[in-house]
Amino acid sequence: MLFSSLIFLYAFLPLLILLYFAIPKGGRNLILLLFSLVFYAWGEPKYLVCILVSITIGYLAGLLIHRYRGRLMAKISMILATIATLGLLGYFKYADLLIRTVNGIAGSSIPLLRLALPIGISFYTFQILSYVIDVYRGKAEVQKNPINFGAYVVFFPQLIAGPIVRYLDIAEQLKTRRCSWDLAYSGAVRFLVGLGKKVLLANQLGALVQAFDSSVEASVLFAWLAMVAYMLQLYLDFSGYSDMAIGLGRIFGFEFPENFNYPFLSVSLTEFWRRWHMTLGTWFRDYVYIPLGGNRVSKGRWLINIAVVWGLTGLWHGAGWNFLLWGLIFGAALIGEKLWYHKFLERNRWFGHLYVLVVFLFTLVLFRANDLSGALTGFSAMFGLDGGPVYNAETLYHLRSNLILLLLSALACTPLPVRTLGWCEKGRLAPVVTVLKPVALAAILLLCTAFLVDGSFNPFLYFRF
Amino acid sequence: MKKLTLALLFALILAGGIAMFLGNTEVSLSERRQMTQWSDVADSKILNGKLMSKAEDAAMDQFPLRDTFRSVKANFLYRVMGQLDNNGIYIHEGSAAKLEYPLDELSVRNAINKIQNIQNTCLRGTRVKTYTCIIPDKNYYLAQELGYPVLDYGRMEEMLSEGLNMTSIDIYDLLSADAYYATDPHWDQADIVPVAEHLAQQMGVPFLLDDATVQDGGPFSGAYTGQSALTLAADKLSYWDGGILENCKAYDLSTGGEIPIYDFAGAQSNDPYNFFLGGAAPLQVIENPDCPNDRELIIFRDSFGSSIAPLLAGSYHRITLVDLRYVHSSILKQYIQFTDQDVLFLYSTLILNQSSALR
Repeated sequence: MLFSSLIFLYAFLPLLILLYFAIPKGGRNLILLLFSLVFYAWGEPKYLVCILVSITIGYLAGLLIHRYRGRLMAKISMILATIATLGLLGYFKYADLLIRTVNGIAGSSIPLLRLALPIGISFYTFQILSYVIDVYRGKAEVQKNPINFGAYVVFFPQLIAGPIVRYLDIAEQLKTRRCSWDLAYSGAVRFLVGLGKKVLLANQLGALVQAFDSSVEASVLFAWLAMVAYMLQLYLDFSGYSDMAIGLGRIFGFEFPENFNYPFLSVSLTEFWRRWHMTLGTWFRDYVYIPLGGNRVSKGRWLINIAVVWGLTGLWHGAGWNFLLWGLIFGAALIGEKLWYHKFLERNRWFGHLYVLVVFLFTLVLFRANDLSGALTGFSAMFGLDGGPVYNAETLYHLRSNLILLLLSALACTPLPVRTLGWCEKGRLAPVVTVLKPVALAAILLLCTAFLVDGSFNPFLYFRF
Repeated sequence: MKKLTLALLFALILAGGIAMFLGNTEVSLSERRQMTQWSDVADSKILNGKLMSKAEDAAMDQFPLRDTFRSVKANFLYRVMGQLDNNGIYIHEGSAAKLEYPLDELSVRNAINKIQNIQNTCLRGTRVKTYTCIIPDKNYYLAQELGYPVLDYGRMEEMLSEGLNMTSIDIYDLLSADAYYATDPHWDQADIVPVAEHLAQQMGVPFLLDDATVQDGGPFSGAYTGQSALTLAADKLSYWDGGILENCKAYDLSTGGEIPIYDFAGAQSNDPYNFFLGGAAPLQVIENPDCPNDRELIIFRDSFGSSIAPLLAGSYHRITLVDLRYVHSSILKQYIQFTDQDVLFLYSTLILNQSSALR
């Protein structure tokens, strides 16, 4: 099920809200668990078994680690649970990459498995791993209640596309959380902002990208236009989803970690990755980079650690060598910044901004391609190496048609709208804002509904993870 | 104020949800299609996900005030976001058209092969005279002028000219954007007399529309009215009648029954263009007992042919219309005896660019 669907907005959500606030607090986690399982099964009924198996593995591992704490069995339980959950992820996501690579190197003809990727497996696998490892480390208390544990893993707001919520973040909230009108209001506002980013901006940008993909003779200008649109779409789609997840969490009394902090304002890629998909970055930092020694090792070992982390980050995003390369490019850039030019970027902020945008844009050519040869095709189109014209009627048409969309989308990537609203709320316009805000929120809901009623193309880009 | 806002939002989603599930619209007149109903959902299976996707379709189709919401979206995109089209449909000076590009050479090649197949199987060894005529779509006159992307019309003509060994009749200069309905892709019968006359001249028959006059068939809201979801003023349905057309009769060969040349019930249907010969049908005939000659014409056509065929009824004793979207070419000889007729392949650029519809 998608947040940006009529079934979710007008059936699932109101029914859940009614039931959740009608029943006693003791039963609320069960309601969340059951509704979340329905939410997940709505999109993937077959793979419900997969997520239930992962939950069982995580739950039993936690119990075993707690039962045998300090003994070898606890370590074995942690290791086995890690292997099992990563094994499931590896099987569904990376098996065909391995087979294709073996076939390519050895010249064999092993048939591909062609397995459909269970939705959200990359996200919930990391959540379960964070629980198992934190229980093993003694940082988190074991969760003996299977309903509470299940509710943590499958809680629908963050199940499909994050933020990656660690068990430590919400352990207390599972037991005792406070719902209030203020929280619910804040959550509703956040949710609607995210819905607007997704439906009104990201989806329209996606249509432009699709027009480029369908074009028979795409021009150089169209290739660049499509990549800029894709970059904006990716951010608005993903951050919009995170907004909706955080907003929904608040409505039900949960506070989730932030996932984005205006990454396009960054002046270095180091800063960029502290603002983009923050929960993924901190996960890899805490569960891979630091256990490997981080930067408290020899220089050579430190470089290897960075390569491992960024290689894994790339592969987490997709099962393809283009993703590995994508991750390693960032690793190399971060190393370069740390060793040589970070200060230069901070002193020359405009150059830093441009550098971040251009490098990220180019890496997205790798990111959105199906494979390395697809990425080469993308680069060729951007530089006219495929013989395409510099521009043509089709390109100018799409540029004219989408100019306002692109400008509004760029604006939505900055804190300017939020700051402007904040300034209005504090100043003499405060009474006007107080009256207009509910009208604006209702208008966003109804406008998004209009788009959904007439819509057909509406995926979340990070669904393939 | 926060509680009021939350109450308002919750009331909207609750009311919308209840109305959505109570919806039971079967057909959308504006979109001219069947709507997915909640009863269709009940017939679907859960495990393969079909129930869920049907439910999503039903939610969209049964949502209350669907047409209003579609209009809101269209107007927001068009007037606020400055987009040049909605669902591919653009409007220029009150006239709507749907963008059609790029040229699909494989499709044109497929159409050529189909025509060549008819030549080889039905026309070889006969004394028929063959002609082709491409009907340009509205974009030729509108989109090109606006600098919007269009089909490569020149390349299409070139392919047909190289692939088909028959007389080509050019009508591009005889039409303009005004010759088409503002709300529909089709041409207006009232404005295509020069085209009919030119066709007749090229095929060597006198053009006779003696004493026929243009009649007013009432308002006409074409296909783009619903598809665009934007406000479009209705066209006027005009048609030629009387005079030499007085005693003409039309028949549907697949049913054997008589059909009206101008079907007033068809004008009230989902597609008002069905006014002309009752809409698309595999095999139709128009007979003119008052025709001064005994020439016969066979038109292999798409929907555009329905409105131009009556204008040629004065020139031919019998006109047979063949729509290859509904009849396979392999069975034509069961219905038509090809001897010495004029055979005209009259297709719009739209069909040639999407010729998979031809059998």
